[in-house]
Amino acid sequence: MTPLEQAVAAEILRLAREDLRLEGPPPEPDAPLAGTLDSLLLLSLVVAVEDRFHLALTDDDAAEATTLAGLARLVAARAEPARLPAAGGGPPGEGR
Amino acid sequence: MDAPPPGAGRGAPVLCGRAGRRTSHARGVPQLSPRPDGSDPAAARCPLAVQVGSRHPCCTPPERSLTSTPHPEILSVGLALPPHFADQETLTAALSAFWSRQHFNPERLAQIHRAALVQGRHLALPLAEYAGLRGLGARNDAFIRVGLEVGEAALRDGLARAGLEPRDVDHLFFVTVTGLATPSLEARLMNRLGMKPSVKRTPIFGLGCLAGAAGLARASDALRAFPGEVAVLLSVELCSLTLQPEDLSIPNVVATGLFGDGAAAVVLGGGARPPRPASPGAPGSPRVIDTRSVFYPDTEWVMGWDVVDSGFKIVLSAKVPEVVERHVGGDVDAFLGAHGLARGDVRHWIAHTGGPKVLEAFRAGLGLPEAALARSYASLREVGNLSSASVLFVLADHLAAGEARPGDLGLLAAMGPGFAAELVLLRW
Repeated sequence: MTPLEQAVAAEILRLAREDLRLEGPPPEPDAPLAGTLDSLLLLSLVVAVEDRFHLALTDDDAAEATTLAGLARLVAARAEPARLPAAGGGPPGEGR
Repeated sequence: MDAPPPGAGRGAPVLCGRAGRRTSHARGVPQLSPRPDGSDPAAARCPLAVQVGSRHPCCTPPERSLTSTPHPEILSVGLALPPHFADQETLTAALSAFWSRQHFNPERLAQIHRAALVQGRHLALPLAEYAGLRGLGARNDAFIRVGLEVGEAALRDGLARAGLEPRDVDHLFFVTVTGLATPSLEARLMNRLGMKPSVKRTPIFGLGCLAGAAGLARASDALRAFPGEVAVLLSVELCSLTLQPEDLSIPNVVATGLFGDGAAAVVLGGGARPPRPASPGAPGSPRVIDTRSVFYPDTEWVMGWDVVDSGFKIVLSAKVPEVVERHVGGDVDAFLGAHGLARGDVRHWIAHTGGPKVLEAFRAGLGLPEAALARSYASLREVGNLSSASVLFVLADHLAAGEARPGDLGLLAAMGPGFAAELVLLRW
């Protein structure tokens, strides 16, 4: 993953931990999310990502973003720069 | 936005009027007549019966080995739906107003509603009134007010179909998981209907979707102890009054797409009651041959309520279908096996409607064809999941269809919070 994608992945994990109160070890970047989260939790995570990054993910997106790394890559490519975290840990919008 | 069915007074309960039209429920649960014969066909199928005769426990249930009294009989099922009906699109659109306040993509949540297969639901209140319904007290006041209306309608419908009067009732079981009342609703209905003071009341709260099957089982248990008496199970579920519009969690979105309102009353007669003459051409009514409760340890997290200041907030795990599919086959096999029966002996499957995934899990766990659960799917489409009342609506459809023949076996089943299952073996 690029530094930006890593920053997005970290933000997705924060959403999962703090907003959705998901417990347990974080999923490996390239492991299928469906193997870690049940269908309701996975849907909850997708909704949280859409809300955080102001994205509407399509069914085709879902087929691509089956892993944390894939989801982070999709978000990094599609979200408006102002919605993205900084690649080096700076404020949102400075990642690009 | 709501559309009272033709002929139904606004605010008055609708007897079986689904989506503003008369359905198979409305055409009616037939006037069922008791069958004097309480013999158990399992005895003839048990391979050990040849060796040890009717004393073998698998072909002679314990209660039958102690007495020759026939099993309790389901005399009728009465139904009632509140008059305010909204189709699924209308409900989803109304909820989208709440969702769009927080969610960037409310269309995703609308997809969840569409996936529920539900086409519309009857509501306790006109749709416009829900926005002003704040706090547990207001919700519960509405539950008591509307619950009494639909509960009375279902009770009167069931008794009329059984050819009985309110004063004939000896045991009154009441189940709900959508509102609280003390005195409980069945006590208030005793006053409304003029029931006799000696009625034994059993209000049950907290079994959730399980309670339709479990209440039927407990009512039949009572009639095994008092075989000359009449028991009624009344289920009143006003799920829409538990709606938490501020809860934008996915489980709540699923629930708001699935659950509807309704009431059902099952009237049972004890086995020692004198049989009524059968109506010409009408099929016999089913008897409750046996019941079984199955509790799954350490599954409290699967389903339930968190009680919060605004009311009941749903706890719903995606594991529900998985739990159902993992357990139902073995549980049903063990239950049937105790009677020397197998799945293939069951002609009528009467399953709680749950949701599409739960029904599919039930079907897959038992290896049933889709047609076996057609009435459960139809009920889900027409009125949604009515919690404990759902399986009783499906039972009413089975009775009204008149397809069962004497000797047919049926299995009524529901699962719900605990997590747990309740199985009821029926024979026509």
